[in-house]
Amino acid sequence: MWGRLADSRSSVFANVKSRLLAIFVTLGGLALTGAALRWMEAPLWAALRAEQPALRLGSAGAAAGQGVTLGLLGGFRAIVADFTWLRLHVIWEQRDLAATDTLLRLVTTIDPRPLYFWVNGARIIAFDMTAWRIAEAGGHDLLSAVQRDRLGAEQARLAIRLLEEAMTFHPGNAALWIERANIELNRLRDSAAAAESYRKAWEQPGAPTYAARLHAELLRRLGRKAEALVWLTRLHPQLPPEEEGTELVLSRIRDLERELGVPVMQTYRPAASVPSGQSAGESRK
Amino acid sequence: MNRVSFSLIRMLLIARNTLLEASRQKLFSFLLLLALGLVGGAQSLREFNFGASELKFLADLGYGAMAFFGAALTIAATAQLFFSEIENRTALTLLAKPVWRAEFMLGKYLGVVAVTAVFCALMTGLLVAVLWSRESALLRAIPDSFTQGRTLRIVDLLLAGYLQWLKLTVLAAFTLLVASFSRTQLFTVVTGFFVLVICHLQYLARDAYAQGGSTFAQVAAGFVGLLFPNFQLFNFADDVGAGIPVAWDRVARVSVYALGYVGAACGLAVFSFRKREI
Repeated sequence: MWGRLADSRSSVFANVKSRLLAIFVTLGGLALTGAALRWMEAPLWAALRAEQPALRLGSAGAAAGQGVTLGLLGGFRAIVADFTWLRLHVIWEQRDLAATDTLLRLVTTIDPRPLYFWVNGARIIAFDMTAWRIAEAGGHDLLSAVQRDRLGAEQARLAIRLLEEAMTFHPGNAALWIERANIELNRLRDSAAAAESYRKAWEQPGAPTYAARLHAELLRRLGRKAEALVWLTRLHPQLPPEEEGTELVLSRIRDLERELGVPVMQTYRPAASVPSGQSAGESRK
Repeated sequence: MNRVSFSLIRMLLIARNTLLEASRQKLFSFLLLLALGLVGGAQSLREFNFGASELKFLADLGYGAMAFFGAALTIAATAQLFFSEIENRTALTLLAKPVWRAEFMLGKYLGVVAVTAVFCALMTGLLVAVLWSRESALLRAIPDSFTQGRTLRIVDLLLAGYLQWLKLTVLAAFTLLVASFSRTQLFTVVTGFFVLVICHLQYLARDAYAQGGSTFAQVAAGFVGLLFPNFQLFNFADDVGAGIPVAWDRVARVSVYALGYVGAACGLAVFSFRKREI
């Protein structure tokens, strides 16, 4: 009996030993393969991340949101995000602030690539939601201007936060800086901040000329006319002569020179224009 | 058994039978038709596109369908084709003959790889046709938006399809490795899907723990990163949809990376299956 028991125990041990060996060999084999291929994977991964902002997840929260949806939905992200945006529009028409905000976060989490979601989302937060909150608090007539501005400022800050998040996915995008400037100007009534944002927008590749013009215009409104003049005189030679805004910039320069009383001999004289084939964006830096 | 040498012909015969068996299965036809229907009908979904350009939207949807249905097909087919041999006792009959277990396992693997190749080839072909016809229509309708000519290159579309297939071959190897020691088909399928999720998300664990986890957590996350391949490396659909050319050296590197994991997983599957009692 003791012999059979000993045989049975040794059989169990052999079985366990064999299974443990199989597990160790499998894990060890895969780990060695991974280690051997790491030299190849690391540069590939670094290059892929540099190209795809959606893969650069700074925080654990972003990893749990964008990372998981990116990993699991893959190419279906676009269509899922589009249908979520449709749903958001239905909720938006009902003026449901909490649900709209939630769906907005969801859309940009599912697919952070399209600018459309970020820009329109920021507009909804800054302008529509402000109107909803004012209506909910009793209406435009019941609230004082201070109260309305306070609500507007709160929403504007939330919208700017959304745009800042968008900039982590779309670094160097002029449209996001312009949207930020618009909100700072029209909702926060902060011309200095808006002027700075228009300047940053102009520094981004492919920025429209009006961003630079608006920067100068806001400087003028802030009383920084000399600064505005210097800005425009530096801007004008960078613009192609056939562009619509070039003539407008020159007329603004003349206006500022008149307002500042610049002597005729010191007025701006347009030099050679930008050579054909070179864009304003290339020459501005 | 040791008297006969390893035969590529026997292995290829097993692979051919596996492919034939798979083609008779309803699951294969169902997933293939579903995926083809989705890609073929993608043009009707473009009305719902808000954010991306239309061609990028179509490319996203096509490669998304290929990845999603392809993964489901790979896992289900690998488990089904392996366990049908075990449960029907045909494996016993086959292995009683002078056939190596390695030939059996690698033959099964190649059969599944051929199934996924057919799937990806059909999907890529249809996607190229859909994108090409839509781009031609857009070229006629709004020529000003295409001053540089066509934005999509067929060779890039084909390369992105090839990389999707390569990813599926790695997934098939890992599913076969699980099947080699698993007792049930259900366990293999469920574990196969877990492997798929881990391979897609392992970079998040590595990042999260590298940023601020304990030393143990960092080591554990690093170990997981070594065990499972990073499936994000196979995703070139974003570039292709945006008209960015695919770099050949990157494709070559990803191919070597995939082959490394395929070799290891298949080798370990053979090792595990040799110890298995059938």
